[in-house]
Amino acid sequence: MINLADLQGNILRGYTKKPHVRYLILEVAEPGAARRWLADSVSGRNGVPQITSGDWGKNKPDTCFNIGLTYEGLRALGTPSASLKMFPNEFVEGMTARAVKLGDVGRSAPEKWPAPFNEPKRIHLIATIYAEKVEQLDVDQERALTDVKAFKLLDTREGYNFPGDFVHFGYRDNITQPRFEGVPDSQRYPDRQPKAPLGTVLLGHPTNLEGLMWRVPEPAELGHNGTFNAFRVLKQDVAGFERYLDHAAFYLFVHPKGGELLPHGDEEKIGKGPSRHTALREIVAANLCGRWRDGTPLALSADAPDPNENLTNFDYVGVGDARCPHGAHIRRCNPRGGQIVQRIANNSRRLVRRGVPYGPPYDPANPYDPAKPYDGDEPERGLLGNFIGASLGAQFEAMSCDWLNLGLQDPRITGSNDPISGTNDPGTSWFDLPLKSGGTIRLPGFPEFVSTRGGAYMFLPSLAAIQYLADLR
Amino acid sequence: MANDESWLDRFVNKLHKKPKPWFKYFGAYILVPIWARLTPVKRLPGGARPAIQPGDNVQSMMNLIMPLKRENRSPIGRAKAALAIAENRDQIFAGLDNVGTVHFARFVIVNDNICMFSFYDGDFTNYIRDFIATIGGAFNDVVKLVEGGDALIPCEENVEAFIQWIHEHDLYQVPDTPTDFLRDQEDLNGDKAVSPVNDDLTLLPRKLVLQLRANANVSLGSGYRAYPGFSVAQVRKKLELGW
Amino acid sequence: MVDASVARRLVDEMIFNLPKHDPGQRPVHTIGVGVDAYFTASDVAHKYCIAEHFSGERICAKVRFSNAPGGPEQHDGRSDVRGMATRFLLPSGAATDLIATTLREFFARDVDDFSKFTKLDKHEPYQRESPWRKILDLLWLKVPRRDPYPGEKTNASAGILSYANQHRFAQLAVFEAKMIGAPVSYVRAAYHAIHTFIVEGENGVRRPVRFSWQPVAGVRNTDPDALPDDDYLRQELDHRLKRWPVRFVLMMTIGEAGDAIDDPTRPWPARRVRVIMGTLTLTGVPKDQATAGERISFNPWRLVRGIEPSGDPILRARRDAYEVSRKMRGGTACPFSNWSCADGE
Repeated sequence: MINLADLQGNILRGYTKKPHVRYLILEVAEPGAARRWLADSVSGRNGVPQITSGDWGKNKPDTCFNIGLTYEGLRALGTPSASLKMFPNEFVEGMTARAVKLGDVGRSAPEKWPAPFNEPKRIHLIATIYAEKVEQLDVDQERALTDVKAFKLLDTREGYNFPGDFVHFGYRDNITQPRFEGVPDSQRYPDRQPKAPLGTVLLGHPTNLEGLMWRVPEPAELGHNGTFNAFRVLKQDVAGFERYLDHAAFYLFVHPKGGELLPHGDEEKIGKGPSRHTALREIVAANLCGRWRDGTPLALSADAPDPNENLTNFDYVGVGDARCPHGAHIRRCNPRGGQIVQRIANNSRRLVRRGVPYGPPYDPANPYDPAKPYDGDEPERGLLGNFIGASLGAQFEAMSCDWLNLGLQDPRITGSNDPISGTNDPGTSWFDLPLKSGGTIRLPGFPEFVSTRGGAYMFLPSLAAIQYLADLR
Repeated sequence: MANDESWLDRFVNKLHKKPKPWFKYFGAYILVPIWARLTPVKRLPGGARPAIQPGDNVQSMMNLIMPLKRENRSPIGRAKAALAIAENRDQIFAGLDNVGTVHFARFVIVNDNICMFSFYDGDFTNYIRDFIATIGGAFNDVVKLVEGGDALIPCEENVEAFIQWIHEHDLYQVPDTPTDFLRDQEDLNGDKAVSPVNDDLTLLPRKLVLQLRANANVSLGSGYRAYPGFSVAQVRKKLELGW
Repeated sequence: MVDASVARRLVDEMIFNLPKHDPGQRPVHTIGVGVDAYFTASDVAHKYCIAEHFSGERICAKVRFSNAPGGPEQHDGRSDVRGMATRFLLPSGAATDLIATTLREFFARDVDDFSKFTKLDKHEPYQRESPWRKILDLLWLKVPRRDPYPGEKTNASAGILSYANQHRFAQLAVFEAKMIGAPVSYVRAAYHAIHTFIVEGENGVRRPVRFSWQPVAGVRNTDPDALPDDDYLRQELDHRLKRWPVRFVLMMTIGEAGDAIDDPTRPWPARRVRVIMGTLTLTGVPKDQATAGERISFNPWRLVRGIEPSGDPILRARRDAYEVSRKMRGGTACPFSNWSCADGE
C-alpha cells in the first residue's frame, strides 16, 4: 500500500469541492531563500501555505496547495548535476522544445505564447492554490509570496470549475480517471478498464508496459513517488465550435444519408426540442467528443443522450466499437480495450487529467454573430489543463503525437487529427460519422478550435523530495 | 574545353577533374582538417525530422549503425552478432507484429557494425519503447556485443537511456534537396534568417565535406517510397490482410 | 492582383537582359520544337480530378520542348533548364495547358523577388578563371568556375549567384539550375510544373497538387566534360519518333496542410502521396513547326473545370506576363472560349 502522506494530493485527488484554482508562476529569486520556502511549505511554518498531501487524515484542508518544478527550477534550487542528468529528456528540454510533437505549431507555436510563457527558462516553480472562494486564493497567494527573497511572481492564471462540471464547449467533464492498484479510494470511478499499475502515475513502481521501468532520479528521496505534469493553457474557440456545428447541421440536413443518422421524427429524442437542425448539431457535437454533452458515452447510447446510462462502464468492442466514431476525442485520448494498431500500447498511455476552465463562460443565449467571421470580440477562454503521468514521453507525448494528431491507432482515421483539440486545417481536415448501416458520412472543414497559449513540463516531487530540495546546500 | 588553354590551365583542370593520389591525400588529410578547425561544423542529429504533417509521420526511416566492441571485431564477433539475431527471431518478429507500426525491418552486418534498418510509422520514441516492451530481453543479446552497450543492459530498465542511445546511433538523414542541409546547420546554430543574408553559395562543397566529416555515416535523402503517405495498417486494411 | 503594367514591366525587364532579341519571338524559351502527342488518363485519375482530360478518353495534345534562354542563339548542349509545354485539346472544344521545366522549383516567391532577380540576371563578360585562382578555389575546397563554352563571351551566372547569396529561398533553384546539365534528348528529362494547382475530385473533395512528367525512357544527361554540341535535340527527337513513340507518365503529388502551397521556391517533401494520372505519348515532329508550337501561346492559367490555380503569386504573374509576351510577338490570340482571364478575373 502506498503511503499517501508522501504524495502531493493533486496527483490522486481531484479537489472537486474547491472550484477556484489559481496558478502562481514563479521564478527563483535567491536559491537559499527559495529552499527555506520549500522547507516551510512542507511544515506549514512561517506563514507559507502547507503542501497538501494525499492523506488528509480527519480534517479536510480549507484550501489546497501544491507545487511543480521545471527542470530550470530544479537547477536554480541547486539540484546536483548527477541528479539532474537522470531526469528524462523531454523534461530536460521542456515543453517548448517539444512543440512539433505536441502540435504546438502555427498560432499555437511557443514563439507566439504570451508572457510569462514567452520566457520558458524563467519559469521555475508553479504553485497551485485550490479553494472554495476567491478570497481564499488571495489570502494563500499573499502567504506564499510574503518572502520576496524566495520567489518572484512572473504571472498568474486563474480558473473556475463551472457547476455540474461543464466546460466551455458545453460538455460535462471530470467524469473518469484511472483507478490505481494499491490506492484505497480507487473505486470512485468504476469502469471496465483494468486498474492501472501505480507506475502509470508514480516513479519507482511497475508500469503498464510489462517489465519496463522508468528511470527514477537519484537520490531515491528526490525521484521516488514523484511524477510529471504537462501543464497547458489551452484557448478554446467556443464561438467557432458552435459555428461549425451549425455548418455541419446544414450539411447533414441535405445529405442523402442524413436520414440514417437521424430518422425523421426522432428529433425530440435528442432532448433539444423539435428542431431538426438543433438535433443534428447535438449529434455532431456528441460524435466529435464520443460523449453527448451530458456525458452519456456514445459507446453505450449512440442514438440519444440517456441520463440513466452509466458514464464510465463501457468499452470500444462490439456495439461500443461500432457506434462511437473511431476518431472521437475521448476514444483518441484513451482507446480503452478497443482494437488499435499499436497492440502493445492498449492501456499504456493513460493519464490523470485535471482541467479547469478559465475565462467567462460562453453565453448560448447570446450566440456568436454570424456576420463576424472571427471571434476577435470574444473574450479569451479555455482550459488550464494538467496531464499527469510518470513518463511524459510514454504517456502525454505518445498520446499527443500519434493518437490525437495523425490518428495512427486506427487505419480508418490515420491522416486526420482530433476534431476538437487537433492541429486542424480547414482545407484538409475530416471526420467520419458512423452510420448504423456500417457506412460513414465524412465531415470536412474543421478549423482549429483549441490553440495553445502556454505551458510547461513540471516535476511533481513527493513530500520527501521537497524536503530533500529544501535541505540542499 | 576551349583550345587556347595554357599548360597550366590544363594541369589545374586535371588536378580538379582527375586528381593524382598525392593531391587527394593532400586534400583529405591536410586541407579538410585545416578547414574543419577554421570553420567548425556541428554534428547534425540523426533520425527523421519532427514534423506535423501526416505524410512525414508515416514510413519514417531508421538507419541504426552499432559498432561492435573491439573484441568482437572479428569473424567470431560477427558470428556472435549473427547468432544473437537468429536465436531471437521469434522475439523480433512477434515484437514487430505487436508494435504494429513497422513496415520493413532488417539487420545487416557491414564491416564491424551491426545495423538495423527499418521503416516505421509515427513517433520514433514510441516505436523504440514499444519494441523494447515487446521483445524484452532479446535486444540485450545484441546490445551486449556493441560499444557502449553494457551501460544499457537490461534495456527494459533503462528505456530512456536506450531510446537516447538508439537516437544517437541513428544516421543523420541528408535532406532530399541539396541546399537544405545548410538550413539544418543554420537551425542548429539558431540562425533563422531568410533574406537579406550574406551567404556564399560557392562554399557549399566545403560545407558538405565538413558535414560529412562531422557525420561520417549518413543516409542520403529521405529515401524512395513506391506508395508514400500510408501507414502499415492502412495498407494491410486495404489489402484485406487484417490489422 | 498583377496589373497589366506590372506584367509588361516583367517582360520588358527580361527582354532588356537579353543580349539579342527578335521581337517576333518568345523572349525566353525561344528555341524549341513542337511535337504531336496524345494523352490517356489512368484508371484512377478521374477520382482525383474531374477535368475533361482525366476522363480516360484519348486526348489530342500539342507539346513544345524548349531551351530556357531567350534570344535566337541555339546551344542545345549547354547546361541549362529545358521546358515542356503541353496543350490538351479537349473533345468539348476547350483546351488546357500544363507548363513544366526541368527545374524542380523557382527562384522567386513573388513579383517583387522576381523583379529584384531580373535586375541582377544580366549578361556580363565571362572569361576563363586564371589557373592561380582555380588553385586557390581548390585550396578553399570550392569547385572552380566552369570554363566558358566555345564562343561563350557573356553569361548571367555572376548576377544570379549574388542574388542567391542574398536570398536563402532562391538558393535551391539557383544551385540546382547550376548543376542541371544538358539532356541527351528532350524526352530523357523529367519536367515539373512547379506551381500548386487545386484539383477537384469526383466526390467534390479539393486537393492541392503539383504535377510532374516522368520520362518512361529515363533521365539522362550528356557528358559534362565533352565539348557541347549546339544543335542536336530537334533531330534526335525527330529520328527517335520516326522509329518509336515516346511516353511520359504524369505524376500528381498531393500536398498536405502546411506544405508550401503558394510558394514555388519550396519543393514538397518526397513523402507525399503520388498518383499516376496518365500517359502522354509523343507521336511525331510535324514539318509545319509554326503551327505545331511556335504560334501556340501557352499559358499556365489556361485551365478547365476541375483544375484551379492556387494563390501562388508567381503563377498569377505568369498569367499576365505570358499574355503580354504573346501580344508583343503577335502570337495567336486565345482561340478558346473557356479562357477568359487575360484581362483579369
